[in-house]
Amino acid sequence: MKRRDFFKYGLGSAGVAVSGGITGRAGEINYVSQASHFQHPWWVKEIEKPKLGIDDRIYSRFEARKNVFGSMAKYYGIDNLRELSRRSEEKTKKYYQEKRPGYRLEDRALADAAWVISRQGGLNRGTRSWTRNFVTTPEERGVDKYKASPSQAAHLIKTAARYFGAATTGVALLDHRHIHSEERGKKIVFEKADEPYENDTKMVIPKKCKYAIAMTVLMPIDNIACSPTAISSAGSSMGYSRCEFLVAGLAEFIRGLGYTAIPSVNDLGSSVAVAVDAGLGELGRTNRLISPEYGPMVRLCKVLTDLPMTVDKPIDFGLMEFCKVCKRCAEACPSGCISYEDEPSFEIKGEWNNPGHKAWFEDSPKCLAYWEESTSGCSNCIAVCPWTKKDKTVIHEIVKAASAKIPALDAFFNSMDKSFGYGRQKSAEKWWKTNHFEYGIDTAQGKG
Amino acid sequence: MKDNNSYWILKIRKRPFYIWLLRFLWIVWLVFWAEAALGSKAELEPRALVISLIIFLVSLLTGLALWLLGIKRFKK
Ligand code: SF4
Ligand code: SF4
Repeated sequence: MKRRDFFKYGLGSAGVAVSGGITGRAGEINYVSQASHFQHPWWVKEIEKPKLGIDDRIYSRFEARKNVFGSMAKYYGIDNLRELSRRSEEKTKKYYQEKRPGYRLEDRALADAAWVISRQGGLNRGTRSWTRNFVTTPEERGVDKYKASPSQAAHLIKTAARYFGAATTGVALLDHRHIHSEERGKKIVFEKADEPYENDTKMVIPKKCKYAIAMTVLMPIDNIACSPTAISSAGSSMGYSRCEFLVAGLAEFIRGLGYTAIPSVNDLGSSVAVAVDAGLGELGRTNRLISPEYGPMVRLCKVLTDLPMTVDKPIDFGLMEFCKVCKRCAEACPSGCISYEDEPSFEIKGEWNNPGHKAWFEDSPKCLAYWEESTSGCSNCIAVCPWTKKDKTVIHEIVKAASAKIPALDAFFNSMDKSFGYGRQKSAEKWWKTNHFEYGIDTAQGKG
Repeated sequence: MKDNNSYWILKIRKRPFYIWLLRFLWIVWLVFWAEAALGSKAELEPRALVISLIIFLVSLLTGLALWLLGIKRFKK
């Protein structure tokens, strides 16, 4: 029996819970009970609309070049950026000479190398190609395309996504406003077309691609806990590389079923917005997704498709209330870019934010500048979040459930979490001596 | 039954209901903190491990002391 079922039903009804999962007529797959593989814990509530609302009069498609990576020179000032880069180089050399743990050659080599698969793809490039790479289509096999009910199709896709490395998967109806209006100097448009394509001026997404499959990929928690060092950067890059493999594999699988698939990681549109719609988590103080199972310890990716599937609902597990009293990410942020405001608002911090949705908006250029300043990036806000846990003791599940149901206890839980020493920086030196799981992640985590 | 030498005789002292409830809660409390300590060890969380272990040991020893005290009083 799953740990979460133990809490929900108690020992007495264990038999009922177990037998519920295996009933169904002989030879008939019971999709209803199998769908529970992909359900959130019992204390997560489904809601009709994301909790942090959207102002429909304002919210619209974002130009990707406005994001902090595309316009850092504009936001930070070119001279400031040069000076920053000079300081960063000096520091890097100094750290090499000092053989400072987390900043040595081996640490940096690991961080770089973990990008290797991620670097095989880009917007409609390589592993993220919008069209078929090599998979055999049903047409070529001389058979009809895959046909099933939307709920069966959703189950099939979620099973395949997990097989390719997704920790959690959700399906949403694609809100076009989450998709960038331009990227790489080309317009991104929705047209009546059979297949996606790209020419000199535009990139075309077929209008029939009405579904967005959102996925989380678990990052190696022992790496991120060493933030800010190259060991923690290796955790992020490993997450991105696993996203790359996941979206490439899932897109080819969908094409193999006879449907269109457009894979994407951080490109193409807001993975966070899609993931919130698909019920994978809530928006936290960091203006990033916090999942009930893994907290912020996830990377996000998505695949757009025309395969009809049952869609999931947004969720509420009391995160907004928790973030109001917690502020641990803001306290741990060395650049001071995370909001300390008690309430989320519609007020953006700068052009890098897409206006029209409620959030705790962040001062992104400060964050990116600190990545350079630290010489190795930063993940402090992920490492310190009380929702980041390894899930090896029942106490975390009890606290999460109680927080979701009794928000009045949030402040108490937060101070207990601090007292127990969670979120403290781990030693990059020790990381090399630890007996890690493959990819640095425990794939059993969050699966009950 | 032949003679008392062939058997262990277990005597359970009659106690009020709330005492049994307290004993049960004490066991649950101990199991909870023992599990938390083991889990924290697996999570490589040293401070959580130490705190859980201290709570477990203090609860265990306090409970045992109270129990022994009760036995002593009863014998008197
Ligand atoms: S990554 Fe570091 S600098 Fe950026 S928001 Fe998080 S804690 Fe702050
Ligand atoms: S650290 Fe606290 S405030 Fe920040 S995202 Fe996590 S729960 Fe919210």
